[in-house]
Amino acid sequence: MQAHESRVFIVEDDASVRDALSLLLSLRGYAVSPFASAESFLSAYQPDWRGCLLLDIRMPGMNGLTLQQHLLEQAATLPVIVMTGHGNVESARQAFRAHAVDFLEKPIDHEKLVSALQEACSQQNQAQAEIQQHTEFIQLLSTLTPREREVMDLVVAGQHNREIASALNISARTVEVHKARMMTKLRVRNVPSLVRLSLFHS
Amino acid sequence: MLIFLLGYVVLDWASYIHPLHGLNITPWNPAPALGLVFLLRFGKTMLLPLALAILSADIGVRHLPAALPITILLALVLTTGYGLIAAVLRRFGHTTIFNDRYGLFQWVVIITLGTLLNSAVFVGALTIAHLIPYEEMGYAFLRYAIGDSVGVLVTMPVLWLLIDESGRARLRLMVLQHTVLWHLVLTACALWVAFGLGAQADFKYFYVLFLPMAWAAARQGLTGALLSATLIQGGIISAAQSLGFSTVTVLEIQLLAVVLVLFGFFLGVVVDEQKRISVELNQTLRLAAAGEMTGALAHELNQPLTALSAYGTACEQLLEQGETGACLRDTIHRMVAESFRAAEVLRRLRDFFRTGATQLESVAINDLLHAVTHSFKEKAQQQQIQLRIDDVPACLVCVDRLQMEVVLRNLLSNAFDAVAEQVSGTRQIRFSAQVEGAGRICICIEDSGPGLSAATAARLFEAFQSTKSSGLGLGLAISRAIVEAHGGQLWAEVTGHGVFKLLLPVESEAHHASA
Repeated sequence: MQAHESRVFIVEDDASVRDALSLLLSLRGYAVSPFASAESFLSAYQPDWRGCLLLDIRMPGMNGLTLQQHLLEQAATLPVIVMTGHGNVESARQAFRAHAVDFLEKPIDHEKLVSALQEACSQQNQAQAEIQQHTEFIQLLSTLTPREREVMDLVVAGQHNREIASALNISARTVEVHKARMMTKLRVRNVPSLVRLSLFHS
Repeated sequence: MLIFLLGYVVLDWASYIHPLHGLNITPWNPAPALGLVFLLRFGKTMLLPLALAILSADIGVRHLPAALPITILLALVLTTGYGLIAAVLRRFGHTTIFNDRYGLFQWVVIITLGTLLNSAVFVGALTIAHLIPYEEMGYAFLRYAIGDSVGVLVTMPVLWLLIDESGRARLRLMVLQHTVLWHLVLTACALWVAFGLGAQADFKYFYVLFLPMAWAAARQGLTGALLSATLIQGGIISAAQSLGFSTVTVLEIQLLAVVLVLFGFFLGVVVDEQKRISVELNQTLRLAAAGEMTGALAHELNQPLTALSAYGTACEQLLEQGETGACLRDTIHRMVAESFRAAEVLRRLRDFFRTGATQLESVAINDLLHAVTHSFKEKAQQQQIQLRIDDVPACLVCVDRLQMEVVLRNLLSNAFDAVAEQVSGTRQIRFSAQVEGAGRICICIEDSGPGLSAATAARLFEAFQSTKSSGLGLGLAISRAIVEAHGGQLWAEVTGHGVFKLLLPVESEAHHASA
């Protein structure tokens, strides 16, 4: 069974479809939160929600694609799976441009749905991990002394110890000491991984 | 073949009046029209029978005015001439009767030029054979040309119609209508005015004959015009015979008659064209509606199917988990409900498609509204909705009853949904109707629901626009297509409550439009 903390938010106007999907997904081990309209989902939405959003396009009132757009503007990280009864290229394009994980046509192939949900969850986990890494790195950065920070910036900029020494007006030996301490603090083993990390989180 | 020979001789005999020198130079010569029609229908094989027919008419009707070899030669000359005219007609695609203005124009030009040329050759041949004196050649040419062209122009279309299976059906259909009787009466009156009263007045009342012709053409198109032309021509000839008109008068009247007949044909063809266009438009609207319907079918069936397949997979899951009790039974129950829902969708859609062609009939507005509300009575009582029909003017509309009921039922069920969310006791739906100016009636459906915003009202009639969770999103688009196909309008009004208005032409108006 899928991890139990995974929650699927279903936004679907048709009561029967909503009910059937809720039943099916809860039997598959997902926690399910059904919503009858895009508006009711938006008003209840909390940024710390984790899981996946299963979204119908054609709904009275706000449609699914607009809801997706709203979430994107709020920088929400909730992965979205879009489903529709009459899919066309334009709506698919719009959905994917707004980073939909998958685009499913009704009646829904449940194998596809399950694999899309898994993908969405792993995407979310990965995003989660990246965010965690980011906050960690920011925290580590704050432990550096100003001098160490200067050295790091120059290293990342690709300068050699000798150049850094003359730029900061210190001896090459001192640069080496600062550099070693900085690398230990940031828990990186070599210069390439330092560059990668700092570029990734800048 | 025998019919052709007989027909030709009889026509020749009937039109053998005021002959010149005992030849077939008469003011009215319809027999060649028969020849031309048969030539066009059966091709070159008719050339020999035509020559035989001309010959036998000369022998039978005119008792051989010249020596046999010369008569045979003259018959061959005429046959060649008509054969050439037929060939030219065929070349321009006139094997069957013209059905538009351009075709009519072409036909008239070909016949006129053809008969002129043919007459010149024939009269020339007669002069050479010394059957007519040289000094009378010009006069003979004029008489023969007029008689021939008038005869062909007036008679050929009717014969064309008679020789063709579908033409005969058209004619039969028209003759069976009771308006034909009135037509006969009117034509007889007009003939009496033109020749009875007009004989002393130098036929200055001839124009009265335009009346029955115009009426027939406007009412029944080309077929009506053809019948009218035949009647009037018959009348003119019998009047000329019984009143003993002079040859000159008959010729003059024939020229007037040809103008009259061409006017009638032209009008008839235009009326037919207009009718065809309106039928095509109707067809297009129907196709558009069908196209939208297909989209609707796909979408509307998808919802129950999606639910069904999800429930089905859920059942499998339940069985895998060893669950066979209430939960499984409940899920199966829901599946059954969903399949009924799918069937309901199909039934509703089939209602739209049911009529293959629009069948117009006169329906009283009152009957229409009562028939529609009747099926909703029970539902209204259950949901405590006050459903009533106000006093409706006693007025007939010419509509396809089934289609119009679909429209009204659709509007009514929209109204039911609109009032459903209100507190019980305040739910009201009201039908009313009043005559608008210019012979139209406006049916109004009001409900006590929240009404529409301007933005919704504007997009309401587009396909897949629904404010309901379980709607087609198409009912209104189709309804509008149906109403517009009936020459009406359907729109929603933006007020504090729900108002839909449906404008339809009332029957007398509809009659005019279809005439």
